[in-house]
Amino acid sequence: MARMNENGQWIVMLGFIISIILVFLALIVNQSALVGKTTSESVLEFPKSEIQDLRAEIMEYCWTGDLSLYETTLNQTFHDISLERKGSVIFFDYNETQGLIYIHFNDGFTAYNETTWGGN
Amino acid sequence: MVTDDGQLYTIEGIAAALMIVVTAYLVVSTTTVLTQQDVHIIDLQLQQLGNDALAMMDTPNKYGDESNLSSLVKGNKTNEFHNQFLAYLNVESGSGMVSGNYEYNATIYYRNISGINSFSFDESQEYYRENAVKVSRWVSLKEFNPSPQYIPYLEPGNRTVLLEVQLWRE
Repeated sequence: MARMNENGQWIVMLGFIISIILVFLALIVNQSALVGKTTSESVLEFPKSEIQDLRAEIMEYCWTGDLSLYETTLNQTFHDISLERKGSVIFFDYNETQGLIYIHFNDGFTAYNETTWGGN
Repeated sequence: MVTDDGQLYTIEGIAAALMIVVTAYLVVSTTTVLTQQDVHIIDLQLQQLGNDALAMMDTPNKYGDESNLSSLVKGNKTNEFHNQFLAYLNVESGSGMVSGNYEYNATIYYRNISGINSFSFDESQEYYRENAVKVSRWVSLKEFNPSPQYIPYLEPGNRTVLLEVQLWRE
């Protein structure tokens, strides 16, 4: 060891530092690639359109005044088709005397409950 | 005869080799993940686009009116559905070429006494396992009077059916 040439230690150390920095940078790039994947996955998973669609459909019956007449049929339709085609549970209840509509939606990831007057 | 000359160089060599291997692994795995990320973003945009198009078609002009989509499904107007749906998907600013190449496959799911049935409404092309997304919309059919050929055995009256559209790019 005594005969070791000790010249150029700065260069060797800088080489070390730079390669360690490169490892960390690669780690960061590696993580950043996952960000776009996970965000778009979580947006895909979130049932925004499904809930808007469900509300729109119930309101369509409500506006024409048919909701109490068709409550059972519509509930059965929602329940059976959404369970089979989308794997989500839908239930709604219309209180005619108060004019209140209770809406329940659950697709296993997101649960949504709403009580509304049915004006919008 | 083994000498203990150059031990520091040996350690340095091993450390450098480890770092190169780890970095190479990280870089290679990064590039493979990137392609998957692209697919998800495209899926996301396509699903949003399809849902928006169906929502626009299913929005009536004013409270209580029948929406466009309802009347198209009610009257089995597949040609008009085809034109309108693709027109909404391909809306662009007016300059440049239409970028879409969208294809779809629309099926109606409905419930009657015997359970849940499906009826193939319209398809622009056969589906051959392309990378597709699924969008759907509840369609209300007011005072629907079915014929035996179109949505068979759906009871007459005010009915709601599910229009499920499989959407992909060619």
